[in-house]
Amino acid sequence: MGRRPLAGIQVGDEIPSLSKVIKREDVKAYADSSGDQNPLHQDDNFARSVGFPGIIAHGMFTMAHLVKAVTDWAGDPGALKRMKVQFRAVVFMNETIVAKGRVESLDPMTKRARLSVWVEVDRAGERQLPIKNGEAEIELI
Amino acid sequence: MSLNQCLKGKEYPEVTLTVERDQVRQFADAIREDAAIFRDPQSGKGAGYAEQVAPPTFVTKVQIMSSAEVVLDQDLGLNYMMVVHGEQEFEWRRPLVVGDVLTAVPRIADIYAKGPNEFLVIEAEVKDSSGETVAVSRTTLLSRGTAER
Repeated sequence: MGRRPLAGIQVGDEIPSLSKVIKREDVKAYADSSGDQNPLHQDDNFARSVGFPGIIAHGMFTMAHLVKAVTDWAGDPGALKRMKVQFRAVVFMNETIVAKGRVESLDPMTKRARLSVWVEVDRAGERQLPIKNGEAEIELI
Repeated sequence: MSLNQCLKGKEYPEVTLTVERDQVRQFADAIREDAAIFRDPQSGKGAGYAEQVAPPTFVTKVQIMSSAEVVLDQDLGLNYMMVVHGEQEFEWRRPLVVGDVLTAVPRIADIYAKGPNEFLVIEAEVKDSSGETVAVSRTTLLSRGTAER
């Protein structure tokens, strides 16, 4: 695995979409390893008390998956220079999140690419966007 | 109740985090990041890094410690039950590697209202032991329905 060259990339290219099923044990492991122990992500009774049908995944857990999609495409975690996301929908256990991205601009001088990035989930036939309007800046070679 | 605008610009006690091998592996496991460079020092070195590399969002640990200090500030008037994580931005200057000793001084970068909601922006510039900035985190928390009408 090496860093992707800018030559060969075109504006409008889409990165391979990356799917993942949200597992309760992963969300628990994420709470423990990130340090975010908010009961909204671990305790179904608490989640119900604030109006959800059950626990939801951490927004940052979903962002971590989006980052993986981008750095897998870039070929190097060090290629990622910036990412900004908006959290716009919750994610429940056993749902499938799909991380996606598209090249919006390329700068051959700085070897940088700007991508729009987002995360989709299909809920009862409707497309929700847990991460919307994301931007990523990648340094290529 | 609305947020205390006077706290705009307030800095909080420094947080610190050492990037430890086991923590990096556990974090990689939790996010199903299975690449070898996140799992052993030799692969990290093979890819040109000094050590085993932490996944980029490992810096979330510092972001969470930073946000916790701010939201627990009694003077801020934040009701945590009303809070959702609205936006997150990271800048990365270099990948974090095992052995890095990180520090950050959390700061309230902005407090503003938009419609019925209030927004709290927490910034943390993450530095290594040489004082060099390795990452910047900007967290926007949304306080639902607390703006004064």
